[in-house]
Amino acid sequence: MIKINKKERNRAFILFILFSIWVLFIVYKLVKIQVFDYTKYISKVKSQSNRIFSLHPKRGTIYDCNGDVLAISIKTKSAFLSNKDKEESMKIYRLLSKKISLTIGERRNIKKRINKNRKFIWIKRKLEDREYEKLKKIKNNLSSKSTLGFIDEYKRIYPQKDLASHALGGVGVDEQGLCGIEYSVDSLIRGKGGKVKVLIDARGKIFEIEYLKQPVAGKDIFLSIDSSIQFFVEKELKRTLEKFRAKKGSVIVMNSKDSSILAMASYPFYDPSRIKYTSQRVLKNTAVSFLYDPGSTFKIILASSALENGVCYPQQVFNCYNGIFHIKNRTIYDIHPYERLTFEKIIINSSNIGAARIGLRLGKEKYYRTLKNFGFGSKTGINLPAEEYGILNSLKRWTNISVAFLSFGYEIAVTPIQMVRAFNVIAAGGYLIKPNILKGVDGIVLPKVRKIKILSPSTVHIMTSIMIEVVKTGTGKQTKIEGIDIAGKTGTAKKLKNGRYEDYYVSSFGGFFPAQDPKITMFIVIDEPKGKYYGGEVAAPLFKRIAKRLLIYLNIFPELDKRNEIRI
Amino acid sequence: MKKNKNKPLIRVFIVVMLFVFILLFIYSSLNLKNIDYGYRMHELILREKVLNEEVDKLKSQKASLLNLKRVEEIVKKRLNYQYPRSDQFIKIFESK
Repeated sequence: MIKINKKERNRAFILFILFSIWVLFIVYKLVKIQVFDYTKYISKVKSQSNRIFSLHPKRGTIYDCNGDVLAISIKTKSAFLSNKDKEESMKIYRLLSKKISLTIGERRNIKKRINKNRKFIWIKRKLEDREYEKLKKIKNNLSSKSTLGFIDEYKRIYPQKDLASHALGGVGVDEQGLCGIEYSVDSLIRGKGGKVKVLIDARGKIFEIEYLKQPVAGKDIFLSIDSSIQFFVEKELKRTLEKFRAKKGSVIVMNSKDSSILAMASYPFYDPSRIKYTSQRVLKNTAVSFLYDPGSTFKIILASSALENGVCYPQQVFNCYNGIFHIKNRTIYDIHPYERLTFEKIIINSSNIGAARIGLRLGKEKYYRTLKNFGFGSKTGINLPAEEYGILNSLKRWTNISVAFLSFGYEIAVTPIQMVRAFNVIAAGGYLIKPNILKGVDGIVLPKVRKIKILSPSTVHIMTSIMIEVVKTGTGKQTKIEGIDIAGKTGTAKKLKNGRYEDYYVSSFGGFFPAQDPKITMFIVIDEPKGKYYGGEVAAPLFKRIAKRLLIYLNIFPELDKRNEIRI
Repeated sequence: MKKNKNKPLIRVFIVVMLFVFILLFIYSSLNLKNIDYGYRMHELILREKVLNEEVDKLKSQKASLLNLKRVEEIVKKRLNYQYPRSDQFIKIFESK
């Protein structure tokens, strides 16, 4: 055992005491800093290392019914100049401008802002990847690197370019919905920005994150549109419009069972990513905002009303006055004169006089009630902006001859979406179903819309058989497809220009198939076709071409030759 | 006598000091660990963000490649394919 003398023990004791004092001093200091002077030091730390950042939410993705991407937001860089020295900024701008594509207006604007000595100047927002790489190289070679900066921003991409452009719409430079579904579900899809507080060390590295406000990402949207159907519908529509040099046109393809929109095409199309360069005329969605006199397609509504109210029966004969019918001081003409026609033949041969006679027999109160039941004069409520109400005068404003003209689709203005919904009433067994384009949000399927029964099964049955005859032997013969029953109705209406009906026409065709168990309801409107203008010659062939493709796509096989059938 | 009086006091003192030291050590090591976790967390968040952005870019690229106009052009012009006619379809029934 080591023996320690008194002197050594005292020294150790003194050392121990000194050491203890030192430790206590440290403890005292720690307590002072962390407890008593806490607020003073925390504010110092905060000012040195705390940063608060805004978090931009990512806009939700839009998918079609098969899960194919129709619109997606991806992160890109936006370039800006931090203008400290005018000369220097101008020099850098000249270097940059050779590497990126800018319009003349944008170039002029940047120069103007540099000359005005603005501190912050956007060079180009949402750069392409290769543009960013080029600018990054330039920045690395600059002597004053802080003059050129980059900010992260989201950019909306539409991979299918102009496909379903009117249904999709588009967004502005700050990712705000401007039109189409992008606008109508903006609050859902946009998400909410957040705020985050971070602690940064001396090297600028983040070591603590605190969310002051959690960002909420925009919800993903699933549309009922099928991009494959949309693709060939658009292709065929474009072909028809170019053939007839028409002003515009629209095709709506609807699932007969639930009124979900499978395709909605309005020509001319546009690329949603170039929305700021697109004119208002092109941006207008003809399917929901084109108002026109429906013409003969409206006879379907009239006939349904007459049958439903028990005013007429299919074999009832009407005098058609050999093509000229005077009513008050107005005259109604038929293209092909008929002396007498049965109720069903009036619809099959599309006699205006016959329709007027049915209308007069029906009476304005009953007809008006039917028109209201079919939803004319009010929006369908589809989830798309700028939908028109249509024009249906109140009963008080109907003159004595209104009912006659309304019987063959004049004195009323409708939209194609209203017409497809009306045709779908017959296809859906007499139920009025609100058209819908939104299938689900964030993977959750939206509940089915409410159905309102407005036609009895017997009316539906008679109307279907009349509409089949329209295609088989009537004005819609050009729609006929061997082996499958198509129910439809043609329409040709003069356009009202400057208060007068002039020789400009709207051709239309509406129908559904297979007629016995409808799966697809379709409505076509072609505005101002040149050369031919009858619905049966312009819109009906287009209906047939689309229907043929749909049959293949949806595996609906016409009853063809038995050679094409194999039993295993 | 003196020797006996000081000994327990020193022991208590040593124990207290040791305890204080241990406490300080634990406190500072926990703090350091906390900061280290902060760095790692931020790195992971950044990585997740980058990966998510990459996924979005790939999704967009995939969708662009599947652009129906592009596909049709390749199929028709490069591969010389045509749309099938309705009579080319064969309906197969499964006998029960």
